[in-house]
Amino acid sequence: MAEEEDEKEYRWETGYEKTWEAIKEDDHGMLEASVADIIHKAKRKRQSERKGGARLGMMRHLFIILDCSASMMNQDLKPTRLLCSIKLLEDFVDEFFYQNPISQMGIIVTRNKRAEKISDLTGNPKKHIKELQNLQHTALTGEPSLQNSLELALKSLRLLPSHASREILILIGSLTTCDPGDINPLIKTMKVEGVRCSVIGLAAELCVCKRIASATGGEHSVVLDDKHYKEQLNAHIDPPPATTRLDAALVKMGFPHHALHNSTTDAAMTVCMCHAESTDESSRLMSTGYLCPQCLSKHCELPVECRACGLTLVSAPHLARSYHYLFPVKPFREIAYESNTPSSCFGCQKSFSNTEKKVYICDKCMNVFCVDCEIFIHESLHTCPGCANNPDTFLKNADSLPAT
Amino acid sequence: MASEVDKSLLIIILDVNLSQRIVRQETKVLTQCLDSTIVFANAHLMQKSNNQLAVMACHAHGSLFLYPDEKHSEVRQIDGQYERFTLVERSVRQRLQEAISEIRTDRPLNSESLIAGALSMALCYVSRLEREKVAGEKLNSRILVITASNDSASQYMNYMNVFFTAQKMGLILDVCSLDQELTLLQQGCDITGGNYLKVAQLSGLLQYLLWVFLPDPSIRSKLVLPPPVKVDYRAACFCHQELVDIGYVCSVCLSIFCKFSPICTTCHTVFKMPGPMPLKMKKKKKNIDAVH
Repeated sequence: MAEEEDEKEYRWETGYEKTWEAIKEDDHGMLEASVADIIHKAKRKRQSERKGGARLGMMRHLFIILDCSASMMNQDLKPTRLLCSIKLLEDFVDEFFYQNPISQMGIIVTRNKRAEKISDLTGNPKKHIKELQNLQHTALTGEPSLQNSLELALKSLRLLPSHASREILILIGSLTTCDPGDINPLIKTMKVEGVRCSVIGLAAELCVCKRIASATGGEHSVVLDDKHYKEQLNAHIDPPPATTRLDAALVKMGFPHHALHNSTTDAAMTVCMCHAESTDESSRLMSTGYLCPQCLSKHCELPVECRACGLTLVSAPHLARSYHYLFPVKPFREIAYESNTPSSCFGCQKSFSNTEKKVYICDKCMNVFCVDCEIFIHESLHTCPGCANNPDTFLKNADSLPAT
Repeated sequence: MASEVDKSLLIIILDVNLSQRIVRQETKVLTQCLDSTIVFANAHLMQKSNNQLAVMACHAHGSLFLYPDEKHSEVRQIDGQYERFTLVERSVRQRLQEAISEIRTDRPLNSESLIAGALSMALCYVSRLEREKVAGEKLNSRILVITASNDSASQYMNYMNVFFTAQKMGLILDVCSLDQELTLLQQGCDITGGNYLKVAQLSGLLQYLLWVFLPDPSIRSKLVLPPPVKVDYRAACFCHQELVDIGYVCSVCLSIFCKFSPICTTCHTVFKMPGPMPLKMKKKKKNIDAVH
C-alpha cells in the first residue's frame, strides 16, 4: 500500500536502540545534566526543521472534530480522555490565535452517530473556550461518525475563498466509526477541495484515519501520554506550508481607530455590535471600542469581522505578530567554549564558567550567547539582540523587509 | 500556605544618544536626566528590600548594562549612605563614562538610538532571572524607557517582536518620552499594559518619574494618572509608507498595500483579481455554456 511505504521496517525489526547508553552520570552521580542535554538536543532539532521563507498558509481555517463518544470516558488519559482533551484544547485555542492572528477556527463534536457543530468558524478564542468548557458535563454516548462530521466541516470550508487554507483536525478516541455510506468518495472530495486533514488518535492507529491523513496531506499520529498529546497538538500551531493550488489574493481589510473618549466629543456610551444582540450580562455600555472605517459601527475587540459590512477588521500589530514566520532568526552556530570567547553571554549577561560546554554564535553579528538565550531567542523573541544592537546588521536585516 | 515572595524588578533603559535634539541644544540636559534617573532608581530600591534593579544605556551604536556590574560589586559606606545606593550611583556613572568615551566617532552620529536592541537584551535578562529564581518566588518585572529620540520605522520588526514577547512574559513596558510623541513605543505600552507619558517640562523629570512610573502596576489602578493616549493602530502600507484605514493584505506574507496591485512586492506572488471579478467570470462561463 502506498501509505505504508514511508516506514521501511517495523520497529521490532530495527536494531536494538540502546537508549540507556545516552544517559551518563556526572561527577556527583546525578543524571540531571544528561537529561537536560537530551532535551536541549531535541529542541535544537525542532528548530532546524523549521525553515522560513516558504509559502505558508497564513489565513488558516481550521475545524476541530472532537470525538464525544462513549470511548472518551476511558481513563487512560487522566482524568478521562475527554477532560484531558478539553484542557489541552483550551491552551491550544489560545496559542493558535496568538500565533495565527487572522485565522479562524470552528469546533464540531461527534457522538451517537451524529455530528454537531458547537461553534462556527470565528476568530474569537473566547467563544471557543466557553463552548469547550460547556462540554465538560456533556453525556458521552454511542459511536462517533467520521463521515458525518467531515461532511459537516466540508460544508462550511467549501464556501471559503480560494486563498484561505482549509484544515481539519480530528481527535478520535474511538476505534470504530458509524458512517451512513462509503467514506472513500468523501476523501477524494476533500483532496480535490484542498482540505488538509490531520488525525490525532487517542487509542490506536486506524487504517481509515491514516488513509484520510495521507490522502489529504495531513499528519496522523497516536498519542502515548498526555505530554505527547500536548506536543502533537502543538505541532498544529505553526502554519503548514501552503498547498500549491492555494491561490494568493489581496484581501481587503480595515484598520480601525481606537475610539477613546476625546475631549472634544463628549464620549457617548454605546453598545458594541458584537454584544448588541445578546442580552446577557456581558452587553455593557462602553465608551471605548474600535470603529469600522467603512461603516463606523463599533466593535469591542479585534480581530473581528464587521457585523454590519463584513469587512475584516485587524490592527496592524496583529499582522506583525506573524511576520516572524516569514523572517525567522537564522540558527546560531554551536562552538566549544574557549578562553578567547567573550566572558559573558551577550543577551542575559550571564558570565560563562567552565561548566559551559557549548556556546552559540550568531554568524551575522558574531555575538556569543548561552544555551538558554539561544532557545529563548529562537522560540519566543525572534530577534537576535546582537543584530538589533548593531547599526550595520540591523539595517541589512531591514532591507529584506520593507519597513512599515 | 507557603509564603510567596514577591520581587519586583525594574529595568531602566536610558537613551544616551548624543544626537538627540534636546541634548544637542543643551548638553547639560543629559547630566540632568542621569541625575533624575539615578534618584528614581534608588527610590525604587528604597521601597522594599527585595526590589531589584537593572540600568541600561543605549545609543546609536549599541546598548549595554550599567548596573548590575559584576566587576565592581563591592563598595564601602560613604557618608552614611546605604551601600546599595552608592553602588548604583557609582557603577552607573562609571560605566556610562566608559561607554560614552568608547563611542566611535568615525561613524555618523545622527543615526537613531537602538532602543529595540536594548529592549531585546532586557528581555533576555528577565528570562534568565525567571529561570534562576527559587520556587515560591514571584518576579514582577517592568521596563522603563527614557528617551528623547525619534521613532524609527526601520526597527519596526524588532519592536513588534519585543512587544509581543513582553506581553507573553507578562512584562510591562513603560515609556517616558522627553521630546516627541513616539507612536511605535505607544503601541508597545498599549500592548503590554504600561504607561506612556510625554514629559511637558523637562525640568520636572524627576517629579514625573516618581509620580507616574514609581508605583507598582498593582497600585496604579488606584491612582489618578494621566489618561491613556489615543493609540494610532492604523497600518502603514508597504508601497508608499502612508497610513491607511482600509488596505489590501497579501494572503501569503501579510504585506499591506494601499491599492490593489497584481504582484506582491514582498514575496513576488501573483494575485488573482479582487472581489467582484470572479463572479463576472462565472457568469460569462455560464453564457458560453449556454451558447454551446
